[in-house]
Amino acid sequence: MNNPPPTQGQPSQPPLPCATPVVPQPLVQVRDLRTWFPIKRGVFSRTVGHVKAVDGVSFDVYPGKTLGLVGESGCGKTTVGRTMLRLIPKTSGEVLYRGQDFYQYQGQELRRLRRQMQIIFQDPVSSLNPRMTVGNIIGEPLQVHGIARGQARRDMVASLLQRVGLDPTYASRYPHEFSGGQRQRVGIARALALSPDFIVCDEPVSALDVSIQSQILNLLDDLQSERKIAFLFIAHNLAVIEHFSDDVAVMYLGRIVEKASAKELYANPKHPYTLSLLSAAPSPDPRPTKRRIVLAGEVPSPSNPPCGCHFHPRCPLTREAAAAANAADTVTIQSGDETARVLRKCVEQAPVLEPKHGESGHVAACWVT
Amino acid sequence: MAQPLLELQDLCVAFDTERGQIHPVRDVCLSVYPGQTVALVGESGCGKSVTALSILRLIPQPPGRIHSGKIMFKGRDLLALSEKQMQHVRGKDIAMIFQEPMTSLNPVYTIGDQIVEAVTLHQGVGTRQAYQIAAESLHAVGIADPLRRLREYPHQLSGGMRQRVMIAMALSCQPKLLIADEPTTALDVTIQAQILELLSKLQRQRNMSVLLITHDLGVVAENADVVAVMYASRIVEFAGVEELFDNPFHPYTQGLLRSVPRLGAKEGRLATIPGTVPNPARFPAGCKFHPRCPVTRQAAASAPADRTIQVRTGEETFPVLRTCAVEEPLLRQVADGHWVACSQVDTYAAAPTSLPVLQHRRQVNAAFVDPQHEGQPVAQELGK
Repeated sequence: MNNPPPTQGQPSQPPLPCATPVVPQPLVQVRDLRTWFPIKRGVFSRTVGHVKAVDGVSFDVYPGKTLGLVGESGCGKTTVGRTMLRLIPKTSGEVLYRGQDFYQYQGQELRRLRRQMQIIFQDPVSSLNPRMTVGNIIGEPLQVHGIARGQARRDMVASLLQRVGLDPTYASRYPHEFSGGQRQRVGIARALALSPDFIVCDEPVSALDVSIQSQILNLLDDLQSERKIAFLFIAHNLAVIEHFSDDVAVMYLGRIVEKASAKELYANPKHPYTLSLLSAAPSPDPRPTKRRIVLAGEVPSPSNPPCGCHFHPRCPLTREAAAAANAADTVTIQSGDETARVLRKCVEQAPVLEPKHGESGHVAACWVT
Repeated sequence: MAQPLLELQDLCVAFDTERGQIHPVRDVCLSVYPGQTVALVGESGCGKSVTALSILRLIPQPPGRIHSGKIMFKGRDLLALSEKQMQHVRGKDIAMIFQEPMTSLNPVYTIGDQIVEAVTLHQGVGTRQAYQIAAESLHAVGIADPLRRLREYPHQLSGGMRQRVMIAMALSCQPKLLIADEPTTALDVTIQAQILELLSKLQRQRNMSVLLITHDLGVVAENADVVAVMYASRIVEFAGVEELFDNPFHPYTQGLLRSVPRLGAKEGRLATIPGTVPNPARFPAGCKFHPRCPVTRQAAASAPADRTIQVRTGEETFPVLRTCAVEEPLLRQVADGHWVACSQVDTYAAAPTSLPVLQHRRQVNAAFVDPQHEGQPVAQELGK
């Protein structure tokens, strides 16, 4: 179990589709999704480049299940969630809802479909209109979609408030009268109003205190088992993701670098980025037994990502492997203020997601493991 | 016995509001010894930041006021100093880093101007030499090409880089005490790990004390020597870090520890603490935690009716022990090196009310401190 030599050049395989069990059909499928934002310069706003916020991402979300999406800020997690809901237009790729391309729908049909797909935002302050009462915030979608108005709407709002653990009489209050946790409950009630079967939870608990965080997580858990809602759960806290998700995808600079069932990913990580994220998470234990892997540098800018494997300038694994490899197979790179020897392959070619030793369906994009 | 560097004695802070006077910090006693890291933990709104700002006398006055108590720093009461004398303490003896580095750096000055301002003010050196010191302090916090960075503006830096600049600025005058108010809360885990490692390295090199304010128990567990848990304006538990995590006595501390989702412990449901931190304008009587406390509720269920009292919170009505709802428990030493303010702890009734003081230092695995020591190869951890 010493440093093994780097894997010799395997013929690069096409990306394997993620494991599709025969019985449950995925509710939402994302196929090679790209969301690029143009960088415009000059008097005529010429497009001089692109920020590749999401660059070829594929995954499936199953009914009543949770897919966790984890990564550092700036890796494109939020953009994935928003592009799936058409809050940001895609550049290419497909988003399939129950097998149908969501981006093909227009007008009335699109609006009907939007009922099924909702979002809960991170910041419960900026995502609630301060001039609307909580009753109107939660009731507006009911009216817009012609589901209920007048007394019927008020009754539905009351039962939604009750369901998320708020007093129904709060419907006449304004968002500023609530604490952060209560506001997040209002955001959840609004997302539930149209009885969706898919909700994007974009860092729903990051802004909350621990004790409140666990209240909200338990609420989401109950709602999921009660209503069989599928979640795309975006977060940067690995412990929260592990607690909440059935499957987990790890993103780095617009690409998924590892994907597996939650249990498998945490027990048996195969990508050095996943490993270092796990290692960096502080654990509430005053006697740590493992030395932490502290990654060098920060997430590079997605407008100018490193070539080859995006992670190579920070990767501790390729450095280790390079130390044991032939000099011809390595190159010296500049990373921050230090120079490092890494494998040539990591710099020249982007690795594809491929199965690694582990559970079936466990894929990672790394040349070395 | 060594003298503590900083000693808060019965600190009380009051704010005048439209609804009358509120007390976000009451009777806080806390000692920080040279080289020690003391963590102040609690949820938002429990008084941690007000305590920190009071030490530097930075709370806005009015409406704020340090109502009573003493802040002893190296044997001098900071509250007795003039504003002019206080300016020499701030930045030079005691420095502070804040949670949000973007709002605490001035956007219209370069990084260099801002560090140099502090250096020339406190160290009596010329501008040229001050730039030299500023460049050295940027280098010390791991910023590459410090001379170029000195000419840059805050918006040109990433969040982690800005926090490094804040640390460099705070440490440029070699303070004895660093107050770090949620220094890594706005950062990603990987950057948080870098910043915390950097802080503890600099702390060891300079034998600096750190008052670490955070709500993240993981950060506390891995960095603090001594922990003070605050709830609704008071310290409710005080102990060495190992002792606190092994034997939390206060139901609030227990609740906090249980509600943290842990890696590798996928339990069915997370434990919660019902309700929220009370607003200082509407603190409940008695123990401030009783409306949320599972221990008093459970005890009341089997207690005779005359010893209980009905409590109404937002959604429900339930009985709690009368003592909890009426009498506010103060910190008592219930075990060796362990203070708690909860009348339901077994040894509380007979425990002495000694001053909470601990010189304790955490046990550190030597392999973690030695920079030469290499960790396990990454390849091995990836299970190849």
